[in-house]
Amino acid sequence: MPRLSPAKSMSSQTLDAIATAALDVARLLMESGANARSVEEIGKIVARGLGAESADLRIGYASLALTIGANQVSITRMKSVGHIGVNQRLEQALWQLANSIAQRQRTPAEIGEELASLGAKTSRYAAWVTAVSVGLACAAFGRLLGMDWRATGPVFLAAALGQYIRHVLLRSQLNAFICTAIVSAVSSVLAGIGGRWTGSKTIGLAVIASVLLLVPGVPSVNALTDVLEGHPTLGSARAITVMMTLIFIAVGLWIGPVFLGLLK
Amino acid sequence: MDRTSLSGFIEMSLAAIVHEMLCGAVAAAGFGVLFNVSPRRLPLCAASGALALAVRTGCLEAGLNLEGASFAAALSISVAVQLLRTNMDISPTALDVVGCIPMIPGSLAAKAILGLFATATSSVVNSQQLVTAVQYTISVAFVIVAIGTGLAIPTLLLRLRLPLNRRRSEAA
Repeated sequence: MPRLSPAKSMSSQTLDAIATAALDVARLLMESGANARSVEEIGKIVARGLGAESADLRIGYASLALTIGANQVSITRMKSVGHIGVNQRLEQALWQLANSIAQRQRTPAEIGEELASLGAKTSRYAAWVTAVSVGLACAAFGRLLGMDWRATGPVFLAAALGQYIRHVLLRSQLNAFICTAIVSAVSSVLAGIGGRWTGSKTIGLAVIASVLLLVPGVPSVNALTDVLEGHPTLGSARAITVMMTLIFIAVGLWIGPVFLGLLK
Repeated sequence: MDRTSLSGFIEMSLAAIVHEMLCGAVAAAGFGVLFNVSPRRLPLCAASGALALAVRTGCLEAGLNLEGASFAAALSISVAVQLLRTNMDISPTALDVVGCIPMIPGSLAAKAILGLFATATSSVVNSQQLVTAVQYTISVAFVIVAIGTGLAIPTLLLRLRLPLNRRRSEAA
């Protein structure tokens, strides 16, 4: 594909290629947990960097819509957004890609090739590494909450196992909320039984610390910053998702430790 | 407060702050792995978590409430990250959000929802249980608002531009 110049007249086909590339970048950013400002900023940078003279992006929780124009021709394209997780390495790579587009002229085809190779470049940690890290994080969280040392081992094991189960369940395409309830129930029961076995005096805190891996920290902060930065619709959608996740965590605690009498 | 008790208080505060910083660092780094932060940036995540907890604990020891202390900690993290970003190729949310994750009141949120569940399913109305659950809920909401606002203010004030924006403004 020839390099694009805003000076030359642009066909709607060329604009279509630009819109697709910009929407692909914006979609990946949404799915990697970026806030609305980042998505909007990067989406517009990519569209303008590829030759569009104007770019307007509408960011929804489940879809993105982009209108771009050049030389009195404009088009609107829409793209659906998949499961929104958190992947900082991918987000960072997309920022770098936008930076490179801003610095030198690129074609939509080149951007498409780079996006296709990003998956390999931004691979995730091994499942066991993530599980161990999450176990340590939850044990540290427990200490921050005032949990005694005897409960740290059970919390570490329960949270690590919970994270591994979550990894397996999410890979099998199970609904994220159901997965949250299952992991909450398993981890909290294990932490409760383990805490009782080690003679901990803070079993209640251990049970709660073991499910903190499920608390949607990034979405809750994004929800607020999105509202503050002028995206109340997206912010509200994120807030509802956060609330539903918290309810499913509580459901897991309810059917697990409360049912077994570990948490009163 | 005499000199002995004052030094005892300072030692206690220092011990508490160091403990919170260590736990905050481990929690932030652990969540950094979960959020797929690159290995090179994990020490920065740990530092960010440690700073957040140090500021929050310091503010709590100084008599601030949880909401105020969380706001001050989030504000300090966000300012530090905005200043660091001038020399680093890192996404804007990578450090500040991960640093604030240990301050998300997950425990209060779980207790609040469990309390509301218990109230809803109990055959006898326990007003104290209900009040406690509502207090937890309000506290959770205020702490999250405090963290989000603390993170957003420096970002809005010190927003950095990518080279394209700079180039465009220079060209104009």
